[in-house]
Amino acid sequence: MSAAAAATDPAEPLDVDLVKRSQAGDTRAFDVLVTRYRGRIYAMTYHLIQNETEAWDLAQEAFIKAWRALPNFKLDAAFYTWLYRIAHNVTYDWLRKKKIEGDGEFDDERTEHRAAPGSRTAPQGFDAPDRAMKRGELGQRIQDAIARLSPDHRQAIVLREIEGHSYEEIAQMMQCSLGTVMSRLFYARKKLQDMLQDTYENPV
Amino acid sequence: MMNEEIRMTNALRTPKTAWRSISALLLVSSFVLLHSSFSPAQQPAPIPAVKPATDGQVWGALIFAVNDASKLTGSAEKAPEHQKDLSQRLAKVFPYQHFEILGQHLQDVFREYESWVVPTRDLFLKVDSKGTAADGGLNLHLQVWRQQQVLVKTDAVLHARSPLFIGGPKWRDGQLIFVLESRPKK
Amino acid sequence: MKTPFEENHDLIRWLDGEMSPAECAAFEATLQNDPQLAAEAAEMQKLSLSLKEHLPAELPVPHADFFNSQIQVRIAQLELDDARAASQRSESAISRLMQWLRTPWFFGAAATALLVAGFAWLQIGAASGTTAILSSYTPNPTVHAETFHSSEAQATVLMLEGLEPIPSNQPITGFNVHRAEPDAEMASTTLFDASGSVLLVMAKDARGQPQILK
Repeated sequence: MSAAAAATDPAEPLDVDLVKRSQAGDTRAFDVLVTRYRGRIYAMTYHLIQNETEAWDLAQEAFIKAWRALPNFKLDAAFYTWLYRIAHNVTYDWLRKKKIEGDGEFDDERTEHRAAPGSRTAPQGFDAPDRAMKRGELGQRIQDAIARLSPDHRQAIVLREIEGHSYEEIAQMMQCSLGTVMSRLFYARKKLQDMLQDTYENPV
Repeated sequence: MMNEEIRMTNALRTPKTAWRSISALLLVSSFVLLHSSFSPAQQPAPIPAVKPATDGQVWGALIFAVNDASKLTGSAEKAPEHQKDLSQRLAKVFPYQHFEILGQHLQDVFREYESWVVPTRDLFLKVDSKGTAADGGLNLHLQVWRQQQVLVKTDAVLHARSPLFIGGPKWRDGQLIFVLESRPKK
Repeated sequence: MKTPFEENHDLIRWLDGEMSPAECAAFEATLQNDPQLAAEAAEMQKLSLSLKEHLPAELPVPHADFFNSQIQVRIAQLELDDARAASQRSESAISRLMQWLRTPWFFGAAATALLVAGFAWLQIGAASGTTAILSSYTPNPTVHAETFHSSEAQATVLMLEGLEPIPSNQPITGFNVHRAEPDAEMASTTLFDASGSVLLVMAKDARGQPQILK
């Protein structure tokens, strides 16, 4: 996972400068940081929980918590790395709470279906980010398949395949052993292969 | 005794000429009174028309914001020239795609009286001026009314070219938004 | 009955680059001698590529401007809450201070300082040419007012949360009001359209509630 110190345009302010101004109370500087990283934070929350409205709220929550925690940020890590950890904690807390509230341990065999972006069952009030997501039907099928994984398996796959974390990092984030990480990754990949088998055999 | 009786009798019996005089006087008086009361041609003197003092002018509009264009009311109201980019600015704050002006009202802000900004019967403003600020901003006390209910009371300083967007109630899958802006004094 | 997958941790460790060079070489030698394992590895690599391609690390945020402005609203609210909490904590300190303020010379100096500070505070908003909300009050406790300035929209926003929606079947007709004439005697205001026709008359009832006549 790479953390951008600034946008590619050299005229744009560096993260460290924006952070310092934000720490001094400049909400406009923080607004620039939000604009810069909202797409990545939203993608992370969305991939993990597969619900547009909730992902939007959680991304918001992550930025609010980051604002609150700014006085304690010592600039000893890249801002995005620090922000990312906050967003992860927010999302995991949400997932853990859902588990405690009785969603229970998911069985991938159950038809647990969350709305894929662009589908008619997508939450009211927001337009689906269909322009970015529509890479043909394969993309849609992959999204649907990911959505059908249990949260633990989905988290493992997202952390590895999209965000490129090592097993060690995944184990820390998911608070489990390395063996469990490997099991989840193996199982998730086999399940996805199983669900997408028809797709690969009959390419769109 | 007789003379006294005569005097008393005489005193009681007003001479005819005196009665005629009194009657005439009463008659004239009555005529004058009646004339002054019922003369159709004569109205109370009009109060001179003096324009009340003003501290500025505001433009108010009620906007209907919605995502589904088919839900728009088809209002023919158009944004004034200085607000041609109003939709774009509203879109930066409210999560809707279409914005329609339902009603608009250009209102003098009276110095001594309350002013009303009434683009519709359903949502309107009461504006009380608290004077002008040193740099031309308008110090106002605003009340947002929804028919007979005040939604919010607020003290604000309104500046030209710096509108106030008030997020109102939801309506027909969309939302009503009140826009208020101070117009520069001519 | 379908058997559960036989987990092959070596396979995924190799796939994910978690093997040491020695382990990697040994595993690749195994692949060469095991066509079924090699086929499985190839399938997993294909899947991995598809996932990376179709699950982007960045997504466009729906209603991005609103996303940003909502964060600003909440930050402003947090700061207001913090200020209120701080003032509550300092109330006991203020009561002690009040004893000092009651001394004649200090009272005068403090009053003057407060006036100057208050005037300066008002002027800060005014001097910048930006519309400012100084205070707000919602009589209905279920309605909550939040204010913030949107630099993108170049507007000040007063959001009223918790309002009852207006029924969809209730029509809303707009006016285009050009002129108003107050009548002090009648305590009413007549509103006119562009052609000079009376649109409506604003009056107040005995309780001071607005009445729209005509």
